[in-house]
Amino acid sequence: VKKLIREPLIHFVLLGGALFGVYFFMHRGDSVATPQDIVVTSGQIQTLAIGFTRVWQRPPTDVELKGLIDNYIKEEILAREAVKLGLDQNDSVIRRRLQQKMDFVAEEFVDGREPTDAELADYLAKHPGRFAEDRRFTFRQIFLDRQKRGDHLDADAAALLTKLKEQPSREIESLGDPLLLPQECADAPQRDVAAQFGQAFAASLSELAVAQWSGPVESGYGVHLVLLARRTDGKVPPLDEVRDQVKRDLVDARRAEANQRFFDSLLAKYHVTVQGVTPPAATTERKVAMN
Amino acid sequence: MIALYVGCFTLASLASAQTTTDAGLLDEATAKQVFPTKPPYSPYAGHNFPTRPFFGDTHVHTSFSLDAGAFGCRLGPRDAYRFARGEELTASSGQPAKLSRPLDFLVVSDHSDGFGFFPQLMSGDPALLATPQGHRWYNQIKSGQGGLAAMDIVTSFGKNHLPEGFPLPGTPAYRSAWMEVIKAADEANDPGKFTAFIGYEWTSNDKGNNLHRNVIFRDSGAKASLIEPYTTLPPLGSPNPRDLWKWMGMCEEKTGAQVLAIAHNGNLSNGRMFPIIESFTGKKIDKEYAENRTRWEPLYEITQIKGDSETHPLLSPNDEFANFERWDKANLDLTELKKPEMLEFEYARAALRNGLLLETELGVNPYKFGFIGSTDSHTALATADDDNFFGKVSGSEPSPTRALKPFIKSDKAVIMSWEETASGYAAVWATENTREALFDAMKRRETYATTGPRMVVRFFGGFDFDAADANTRMPAIAGYTKGVPMGGDLHAAPQGKSPTFLVAALKDPIGANIDRIQVIKGWLDKDGKTQERIFDVAVSGGRKIDAEGRCKTEVGNSVDVPNATYTNTIGAGELITVWKDPAFDPALRAFYYVRVIEIPTPRWTAYDAKYFGLTLPKEVPMTTTERAYTSPIWYTP
Repeated sequence: VKKLIREPLIHFVLLGGALFGVYFFMHRGDSVATPQDIVVTSGQIQTLAIGFTRVWQRPPTDVELKGLIDNYIKEEILAREAVKLGLDQNDSVIRRRLQQKMDFVAEEFVDGREPTDAELADYLAKHPGRFAEDRRFTFRQIFLDRQKRGDHLDADAAALLTKLKEQPSREIESLGDPLLLPQECADAPQRDVAAQFGQAFAASLSELAVAQWSGPVESGYGVHLVLLARRTDGKVPPLDEVRDQVKRDLVDARRAEANQRFFDSLLAKYHVTVQGVTPPAATTERKVAMN
Repeated sequence: MIALYVGCFTLASLASAQTTTDAGLLDEATAKQVFPTKPPYSPYAGHNFPTRPFFGDTHVHTSFSLDAGAFGCRLGPRDAYRFARGEELTASSGQPAKLSRPLDFLVVSDHSDGFGFFPQLMSGDPALLATPQGHRWYNQIKSGQGGLAAMDIVTSFGKNHLPEGFPLPGTPAYRSAWMEVIKAADEANDPGKFTAFIGYEWTSNDKGNNLHRNVIFRDSGAKASLIEPYTTLPPLGSPNPRDLWKWMGMCEEKTGAQVLAIAHNGNLSNGRMFPIIESFTGKKIDKEYAENRTRWEPLYEITQIKGDSETHPLLSPNDEFANFERWDKANLDLTELKKPEMLEFEYARAALRNGLLLETELGVNPYKFGFIGSTDSHTALATADDDNFFGKVSGSEPSPTRALKPFIKSDKAVIMSWEETASGYAAVWATENTREALFDAMKRRETYATTGPRMVVRFFGGFDFDAADANTRMPAIAGYTKGVPMGGDLHAAPQGKSPTFLVAALKDPIGANIDRIQVIKGWLDKDGKTQERIFDVAVSGGRKIDAEGRCKTEVGNSVDVPNATYTNTIGAGELITVWKDPAFDPALRAFYYVRVIEIPTPRWTAYDAKYFGLTLPKEVPMTTTERAYTSPIWYTP
């Protein structure tokens, strides 16, 4: 026994035990002191093994599986400790990841049903502009070069316009100044007119009277006198022709709507104050868009 | 499309349109009054040739590219197509982005090596994270140092030093990423309105030297999904272009699809893009190389964000416009500095010249390519306009600090982000906006490159053009009936005749005026040496072209740098001429291509300085001269 009393290991154990006792009493009821359970369930082990198999195209060996489990335990402990130390606070990467996870949660609220024909038809009817063909124009144009005509441009344009109005069907090839663009466009969609003559010119075609010479109309090149022969509004195609597109749009719209609803329900739990930017009256009304 | 060639502008079509006009009906009587009762007005009727160029980008990366993902790109192939179609998107940096007008076509060309790698890395794949590299990249990206990770990924890639678990063709992760790419293209493809090509980039980076090629499919996903892209990592792939061409042959045989490849950034290949001596074997290129190169690679991407590859001041000392957006410090990863003797084998004009020489030896010209421009954007955003430039990578999307960040750095050199070029687009003379028509036009090289502006450029060669052809209202008719368009061939000159060229350029409808049109001629002289010469063929503002065919008077400069504006008070909206080669020898091989130079305009750095209120250092250029390069027309005796 004497020998035992002299044994340093015993001192160590006793001392350690005493310290632990003191610590235990001081922290009684504090969960930090009690060892926590980490149970690696067979389900979790299976998940680890499946993840490994997906990457390596074979199941892990026993040694590899033990490694995976050890890693998992290590990760679990460090993650828990990190949270206790508050390392997850104010970390933009973690916050963004959490936000991303909430996006997945929001997905749960999306109406995942396959849209019915009636729903698709209804959506098409409510958003015809999104699926309509482009407006089309049939026109002739005579170009007048500002660089070439300088101060005479306006007078030249007015004189030519008068002449054309008197004799609308005359040959135009020799009139005005040359330009690499066509003098005549047949049933051209608005986007193609825009691509060649510029958006402003294409937009002004919608303002012109049909079947008469008008102008001058501005483009990026100079001015044009235009005979608009025909303007055709784009038809809304029947559902069968645009079914896939309508479906994509409808599903997207449902998702966006569900996400917004989900977020609004969360937002309602908060009173948001933005200092110094928004007037106080507006803060409670603040609308925050999801994504 | 402005369908002049279908000749539908007839009285019959007018009269039958009564159900749809929104502003008054046009009956037959009115129509007769308005339009002459003669055969169809349109002289294009009955001709089936292209009446307008389609503009697009054959080279856009998305988050599916491992480096783009690491650099912070969060937009995928679907987003890239939507953006190209003109939709407004939120860029990866969180700011709204939209093109000034839609593009007509787009190829999403993500790196075939590591398709799906980035999603795998970001999901914290345990196997990948178990490797030291995977672990390091994951941590770098998570801690906001994606740029470091990206450069490391690119460098590791160049050295073929990649972690185990890297997705390879044949794995499910790889397959599903490729299928996503195909699906995005097939969904976005809208014949007649917008063409979405299926494609990928084969990123051969042998020893850090850029030998990259974009591979484009003519066909839909039904065929493209029968195969997986070719990679560069042995043993499944190879960095040698000969192996890519083998794969392309195999692909066409196996799937029935047609494919072509477009190389880019010879300027970062350190003399290996257009070899006479092959870097892989150390031997002179042979007929097989020449045949395959010219068969599979009809086009070259001559301008993009990583600089211009037309020519270099040391190669073309008499070319005042040669010193344009130079990236000539080193190879792609800056591991080997540039030496002057490399230049000849990496710039397009020199390659066209050497092609003539090689043709006499091999019987085939390996470097008989046309030109396109594209962005090589890694942001999913095909922006090439200086006033709307979203940079090379997501880290160089607009911000007050982007211009002065290093783009890439090594112990040997550094390239700053301000050196990025807001460029370019591909213009294709096709009969309609479909995959088939555009692809076929690319195959016949009826294309040109622009550094961003959507200029219309015509270029026809023949032996019978005369001045009157430039004065007609429809020069294209003369062009196609009396000659061949850009990308074409002239043979055996008739006795006593020299080649004549009908050349025209029209400015971008919302862009800057044109300074001049030049024809660049290259030929193989009597002594078997290659030569080049520049001719100014049409210049704005009544300036004189001297006896040597040059206009030494500059167009001027209307740029207000502090306000990032310019005025079209100088230059011309349109230039057109017929030009005859004054120094033609029918016995000598030659090529001719057109370069159109715009008046000076603010560079993207000037728009940045204005918008963010910056004072940029003196070495940062604030103006640029945008340009277009047409595919050559070759003369072969």
